Amino acid sequence: MKTTVNITINGESYEESIPNRLLLVDFIRDVAAQTGTHVGCTYEGVCGACTIQLDGAAVKSCLMLAVQADGHEITTVEGLATDGELTPLQIAFNEHHALQCGYCTPGILMNMDEFLKKNPDPTEEEIRHGLIGNLCRCTGYSHIVEAVKDAAKKLA
Amino acid sequence: MSANKDGVWVGEKFNRKEDQRLTTGKGRFLADLSAPGMLHLTFFRSERAHAIIKSIDTSAAMALPGVVAIVTGEDIKDKILPMPQPVVQPALPARFPKHWPLAVDKVKFHGEPVAAIVTRDKYVGADAAELIAVEYEDLPYIGDPEKALEPGAPLVHEDWDDNLMFEMGFTGGDTEESQKQNDEEVDHIMKTADIVVKNRFRVQRCGITPMETRGVLAEWDDADGLKAHITTQRPHIDRVALSDILEIPAEKVRIIAPRDQGGGFGVKAPFYREPILICYLAKALRRPIRWVESRQEHLMVVSQERDQINDLEVAATKDGKLLAIRNRGVADCGDGCQGVYWGFVMPFLGAVELPNGYTWEKGDVKVKVAVTNKSCLSPARAFGEFPTRFAMERSVDMIANRCGMEPAELRRKNLIPELPYTSVCGEYMDSGDFLKVWDNLLDHAELPAFRKKQEAARKEGRYIGIGFGLGVELSGVSSELMVPMENQPGYGAATIRLDARGKAMVFEGDAPQGQGHETTAAQAVAHCFGIHPNDVIVTTGDTGTTPFGSGTIGARMGSYFVSAAVDAAEFLKKKIARFMAHDMALSGATEDDFDFIGGEIIYRKDTNIRQTFRDACERNIMWPINLPESETAGLEHTAFFEADKPMIAFNADFCTVEVDPENGQFKLLSWTSSEDVGQIINPQIVEGQMQGAIVQGISNTLFEEFIYDENGQQLTADFENYKLATAADVPDMKITHAPTPCPHTPLGTRGIGEGRPSDVPGTISNAVCDALTPFGIEITELPLRPNMIWRKIQEAKAKQAAD
Repeated sequence: MKTTVNITINGESYEESIPNRLLLVDFIRDVAAQTGTHVGCTYEGVCGACTIQLDGAAVKSCLMLAVQADGHEITTVEGLATDGELTPLQIAFNEHHALQCGYCTPGILMNMDEFLKKNPDPTEEEIRHGLIGNLCRCTGYSHIVEAVKDAAKKLA
Repeated sequence: MSANKDGVWVGEKFNRKEDQRLTTGKGRFLADLSAPGMLHLTFFRSERAHAIIKSIDTSAAMALPGVVAIVTGEDIKDKILPMPQPVVQPALPARFPKHWPLAVDKVKFHGEPVAAIVTRDKYVGADAAELIAVEYEDLPYIGDPEKALEPGAPLVHEDWDDNLMFEMGFTGGDTEESQKQNDEEVDHIMKTADIVVKNRFRVQRCGITPMETRGVLAEWDDADGLKAHITTQRPHIDRVALSDILEIPAEKVRIIAPRDQGGGFGVKAPFYREPILICYLAKALRRPIRWVESRQEHLMVVSQERDQINDLEVAATKDGKLLAIRNRGVADCGDGCQGVYWGFVMPFLGAVELPNGYTWEKGDVKVKVAVTNKSCLSPARAFGEFPTRFAMERSVDMIANRCGMEPAELRRKNLIPELPYTSVCGEYMDSGDFLKVWDNLLDHAELPAFRKKQEAARKEGRYIGIGFGLGVELSGVSSELMVPMENQPGYGAATIRLDARGKAMVFEGDAPQGQGHETTAAQAVAHCFGIHPNDVIVTTGDTGTTPFGSGTIGARMGSYFVSAAVDAAEFLKKKIARFMAHDMALSGATEDDFDFIGGEIIYRKDTNIRQTFRDACERNIMWPINLPESETAGLEHTAFFEADKPMIAFNADFCTVEVDPENGQFKLLSWTSSEDVGQIINPQIVEGQMQGAIVQGISNTLFEEFIYDENGQQLTADFENYKLATAADVPDMKITHAPTPCPHTPLGTRGIGEGRPSDVPGTISNAVCDALTPFGIEITELPLRPNMIWRKIQEAKAKQAAD
C-alpha cells in the first residue's frame, strides 16, 4: 500500500509515492539520496546514528515511518552548513578530534545541535547525559564532550 | 590547522583532513555506494543451533514479485570451492573445518546462513525470508567448551573424531624432552614457592562491534571480471582469497575497501562466508549485488571474541618477586569456520602474551581451543589477550595482597628492567623503558594521598579504591610472526608519486576504518619533504592502485606503513638532491647535503643555493634532459619496510572507583594512563586512539555479553540486550606520555591501538577489590556486574561472621 507524501529535507521539497511501511531513514537515504544519515542498529532505536531534526526536534529517523513526516520539515547533517560554511559545532568537532570513523557523527551533530539550543551553557555531566542516545565506538566520548563545550562557548 | 612555516609536522597537532566530509554527511560508506541495476541480497539464516537440514522450500518466496533468485547450500556446493583455502589458512597445526558460505547438510550455529535471496527491493528480501520453510532434525547442542572436549561428546564436525580444534604449549623449548623438563621445573616451583595464587579466570563472550556493520557491493563484467567493494581491513588479502576460491584469474579481481568505513577493530579482518557468496552470485547473475548487514545479523554472528577460561597459577617469593606462571587456557571458538583466524588464532596469541611486562624465571603455558555450536569467534581489539591480561593483572594484585605490598610497588619490582627481552612464551620485546612509563603513572596516581583519602572515606562508610594494570602490546606484526601465524606477510608498503607541481600522492594497500591514515601519513610524508600536509594526498585500500599490504591490523600503521612511506620519501629526496647537485654544478656535493624545509631545498654548505620543492619536481618530471649520469627521470617509488625485530608499545593505567556495598553498584571516578608510543606523529589522534580503546575495554568489562541459552539460541542480537557503554557510563580519560623512540623505525614511531584495551578489565577489577578490601573479595570473572559484586560481599560477610 502506498501513499503520496510531501516531505521537506534541508529546504528542498520531495513529493513522492512511497510504501506505507517505508521507514523515514530509508526515505532520507534511498528516496531523497541523502546518505549522511546512517543506520547502525536494526531499528531498535538505541544507536542514534539515524538522528535527524524533525521541525527542529532531534528524532531517531529509524523509529518513524516516512508517512509520519508528511508535511513536515526535516534537517539532516547535510543541512547544517550553509553555503559551505560550517557551524561552530562542526568546526569544534574537527578542532577537538571528536570523530574517528565518522559513522556516528551525523547523529551526534544533529542531537547536539538541538541540545545546545536548549541548553546553551551545559556542564560536562549534562553533555554526557545528553549523549546517551548516541553510541560511539571509536572515540571514547572525551573529545566529543570537549568539542560540544567549545561549541557552546563559541555560540554564546 | 597549525601555522608551521618550517614544515615540522611530526609531533604536531593537525586537524584531520577526513573531517570535512565526515562532518557534513559526505562520507562514502559501503551502504552509500550503488551501481546501476543493483540488486539487494538478504540472508536467510538458521534458527537452530545444531540440526540436519531435511528440506528447504523456497517456492513461496520465489513467487513474490521482485524476487530475482534464491540459492541454498545445495545449489552452490558444486559451484564454489569449499574452505579452507591456503592463502587464508594459518601455518599453525590446527584443524580447519571444511565449509561453504551457505550451510550444506546441516547447520552448526544459530545464525548460520542457509539461503541467500536476491531482490530488486530490500524490503521484499525481508518478506521473502519470512516465506522460506526449512525442515530441521535437531542434533544435540554443544555449548560448553570443556564439555565439548570430554570424550564421547557429540561432534560439531562429523569428520573429526573430537571437538579439539587446536592445542599448543608455548614454553620449554622446541623438543618434547626440554618441554617435559621445563614443566617439571615449573611444577617444583609451584610446590615450593612462598606464595602461590591459583584461580580459574573466566571472561565472557564479547567483542568490539563497530558502529558500521559489514557489507559488500559486487559487480561482475564478462570482460573485466569482478570488482567488489567490501567492508574489509584487508582488501589485498581478500583479492587473492576470492580469486582462489571463486577460480577467477587474479588479474580479473579488484577489491576496494570504501574510503570511509565505520570502524573495524578486527571484526572486518577475517575472510568471511558472505563476500564469497555475494561475489559468486554477482558473477552468476551478471547483476551488481549489494548486501548491507543488519545489526541483528551482525550481533548474531560476528564481533564475538574473548570467551576463555584460564586456570592460572602464579608463584612468588614472600618479598614479592614473581617467579613462575602455569596456565591452562580453554577457549570456545564456536564452529571455527572463518578464513584467516578460524577462531583459534586469538587464543593462540593471547597465550603468547600472558607473561605481560614482567620478568619470569619459568613458565608452563598451554591452551586448548574447542569447537562448539556457536558462531565462530571473530577478532577484536586486544586480540586474544583480553582474558589472559585479566587473569595476569588480577593475579599480580592477589600476590601483592599476600605479600602485604602495594600492587603498584610489586609491579614496579617485577617490570622488565631493560629491553630487548624475550618472554618465557617466546615473545620478543624490542625496546622501551617500562620503569619510566610506570614512574610517570605513579606520579599522577599520588598514591599516599589517595590512601589517606580512602581511609577517611571508609570512616564515613564510603568505599573508594584505586586499581592498576599494564600491557605490552604488539607494534605491528613482523613477517617472522605473520607468516606462521597467518600465512601472510607483515611488511609495510607505500608508494609515493610526486607530480610536476610538487604535490605528493601516497598509496597505501591497507584500509583504515577511522584511524586517520589520510592525515597521519600526510604529516609524516610532508615532514620528510618539508612541504605542507595539505599537499600530500593519501589513497588507501584499492587493490587496483595500491601496493600490497596485509591490512590494517595489529597496529601496523604507525609502525610498518608510516615507516615504508618515510623510506619511500627518503629515497625520492636523495634522487632530487642528486639532480640538484648536478644541475647547480655543486662539486663534491652528496645527496645528504640538502635540507628539505619550508617548501624549499637548501644546500647546507651554502644556504644561498636553494630552489623550491615544486621546481625540483617539475624539472625532473617535465624536462628530463641534461640528466645526471646514469639517472632516469621520474619521481615515484615504492618502499617495503620490515623491521629488524618484532616491535612493541607499552602502556600502564590506573583508575579510581567508588563502590556501594549495599547493592554492588560502582562508578568509575577517574582514568589515567601512561603511554610509550615512541615518537608521536599527531598527538590528538594518539589520544583519541587511547581513549577509544580504554572505553571499549570498560564496555566489555561492565556491560557486553553474548549469551547462548541451553538450546543454543543466541539471545543478544540487538543493542537492547547487548549493551555498549554510552558517554554517561564512562569518565574522562587522562592520557599522559613517557615515550622512548623505537630504534627500529625511521621516525622512532610505534604502532598503537590494537592491543590497548587489554589491561582495562584487570585495572577496573583491581580497583573494585581495592575499594572493598575490608570485605576481602576477589574478582575472577567477567562481566563485572553489581549483582555479582553484591553476592561476593554477602559471601564475604557471611564468612567473616562465621570466623
